[in-house]
Amino acid sequence: MTFQVDAGGRRRAVEVVRVGDTFLVSIDGRDHEVDVKHIDGTLSLLLGTKSHEIFVGPPAEGVITVHVDGVPVEVTVVPSSPMGAAPPRAAAGRAGAGPSAGTGPQQVKAPMPGKIVKLLVKPGDRVEPRQGLVVVEAMKMENELRAKRAGTVAEVRAVEGTSVEAGAILMILE
Amino acid sequence: MKRILIANRGEIAVRIIRACRDMGIGAVAVYSDCDRAARHVRLADEAVHIGGNAPGESYLRIDRVVDAATRTGADAVHPGYGFLAENEVFASACRDAGLTFIGPTPEAIALMGSKTAARKAAMEAGVPVVPGTEDPLGPDVPDAAIAGIADGIGYPIMIKAVAGGGGKGMRVVASPEELSSAVRAARSEAQASFGDPAIYLERRIARPRHVEVQLLGDRHGTVLPFVERECSIQRRHQKVIEETPSAAVSRPLRLRITSDAAAIARSVGYTSAGTMEFLLDEEGHFYFLEMNTRLQVEHPITEMVTGIDLVQWQIRIARGEKLTIDPDAALKPRGHAIECRIYAEDADAGFMPSPGRISVLRAPAGPGIRDDSGAEAGADVPIFYDPMISKLIAWGEDRPQAIARMRRALREYEVVGIKTTVPFFRWMLEQRDFVDGRFHTATLDEILRSRAGEPFTSADEERVEIAVIAAAIHQMTAPANPRTSEPANRPAPPSAWKARARAEGLRG
Repeated sequence: MTFQVDAGGRRRAVEVVRVGDTFLVSIDGRDHEVDVKHIDGTLSLLLGTKSHEIFVGPPAEGVITVHVDGVPVEVTVVPSSPMGAAPPRAAAGRAGAGPSAGTGPQQVKAPMPGKIVKLLVKPGDRVEPRQGLVVVEAMKMENELRAKRAGTVAEVRAVEGTSVEAGAILMILE
Repeated sequence: MKRILIANRGEIAVRIIRACRDMGIGAVAVYSDCDRAARHVRLADEAVHIGGNAPGESYLRIDRVVDAATRTGADAVHPGYGFLAENEVFASACRDAGLTFIGPTPEAIALMGSKTAARKAAMEAGVPVVPGTEDPLGPDVPDAAIAGIADGIGYPIMIKAVAGGGGKGMRVVASPEELSSAVRAARSEAQASFGDPAIYLERRIARPRHVEVQLLGDRHGTVLPFVERECSIQRRHQKVIEETPSAAVSRPLRLRITSDAAAIARSVGYTSAGTMEFLLDEEGHFYFLEMNTRLQVEHPITEMVTGIDLVQWQIRIARGEKLTIDPDAALKPRGHAIECRIYAEDADAGFMPSPGRISVLRAPAGPGIRDDSGAEAGADVPIFYDPMISKLIAWGEDRPQAIARMRRALREYEVVGIKTTVPFFRWMLEQRDFVDGRFHTATLDEILRSRAGEPFTSADEERVEIAVIAAAIHQMTAPANPRTSEPANRPAPPSAWKARARAEGLRG
């Protein structure tokens, strides 16, 4: 079975062949022989004698979080079809560019229901990566939402003093 | 005392239920809509629904909590911390309903709950306080008058809420130009958080440590202070890591600060558990800051180094028992203990709350480790309450061993489904300043500012490669679609709608 896997900012071609509990995994030509055991929600991998404990989180917007020895790594798996046609997963995924997309407009969404306390930018402003955009009060705390990348504020939909639902688009950066 | 109602939720409700069990006392839980299946409800002997998700509709409803207690035949109420724990109206309502309130008297809560009255009590007991205003500044005090007072105290100053706590309504003001906007912000936050806009001013001590003294007072006039706790690792005035003893407190200083703390408590006839908070400056001078008239979040570290169960003692004191703890044992720490407050927050996104469903939770264990938690796999972290999911506590024979054990425990701690501050703590416990014990209350904020949002976790190349291997194997073997048994087939996308429909169907 072959996949395309995005992780650590790179796409990799991955081929997996299963022989009992052993999986032969080839990543961009590097071969690994992996002994695999499932224990409830846990995966135990042995690469040679090296032991790794893995927890796989539920997919969110197509991204799964794989915890490797306690360190979370965000991974997107795209099964490649033999014809090289559009991967089915892309069609099944949420419409629109997610916030983690590397290019294109950046939608700043409310991560949870809350109140817009303060807008820190206005349309036309240039923003730097990690610059504060809007302050939202939720779970009794004021939280600053920040820009993922540099860009220009194209549209501000949030209004100070109003309440917003989780997932509401607060502003769009280009 | 046969049955105690616990007017709280989360880890502290679980902690108190356990103390009840240890003493052979029945435990009654209360819960809001979204907490129906919470751990504290399932652990309790009885549980009473008290209303909607917003705290104001449930955990803050004095009438419903008191009604739940009388309905279940509880004879006492433990408020935990937060919610109604420092509300004298609640303590009075319990007393009026014939319930024993496991805490101080309503009078003591009212007196020490007012920051300005508590400062006065400290001064009258001969304990130094941070220079500042003696009386509350209500909303009618004009800015010009406040500016005059601020000039008299000298900049930089702190604005604090008279009814405050937990950093709410607190502002640092470096210069007169910033004063009026800071006063406005502090007042509105104080009004929103405590229903009281009154503030007061204090001089800002440079690079202070936050050192506090746990106390127990019985109803026979005995007040017992415990070895100090060091709580200087704070983010935006919220404690993040606590430890005991403090690296900055010598034995003579310990004797002075603890006897001063006890003197304040004695002067107001304080009973039950309480904590006197102090600032310790770089020259070793300490100043009384405020009192917390309740059990503290960080009480377990004191329990770890003294072997004394503070919650059990709160219950015993409420039953009228005399304190029989050896005063020397309370002041002589056995080893060292550290606590990390594990929050459902994404530290890499400016500590943004990360509510949601926990899919996997594996808490650490082993030598010297205690995990006081209210969370578990399959449970949701609701958006309505404080997002702390657990307190991880490590004990060691000395500080280096406690740190080593905490690092080991943090490495074992696995939470999948939501983001937590575990990765932040793994990083924090490697920081030189922390390891050397060189820090003050602003140290963490300074470090965080200098990092400018740089992530605390970044997987190295090897881990990314392992993650890719694991994801591919998971994709091939996960039972995404049970009917497609042939793994060579293209797996169908998992149907979130079906899962949702099943969940809806199961809801009562």
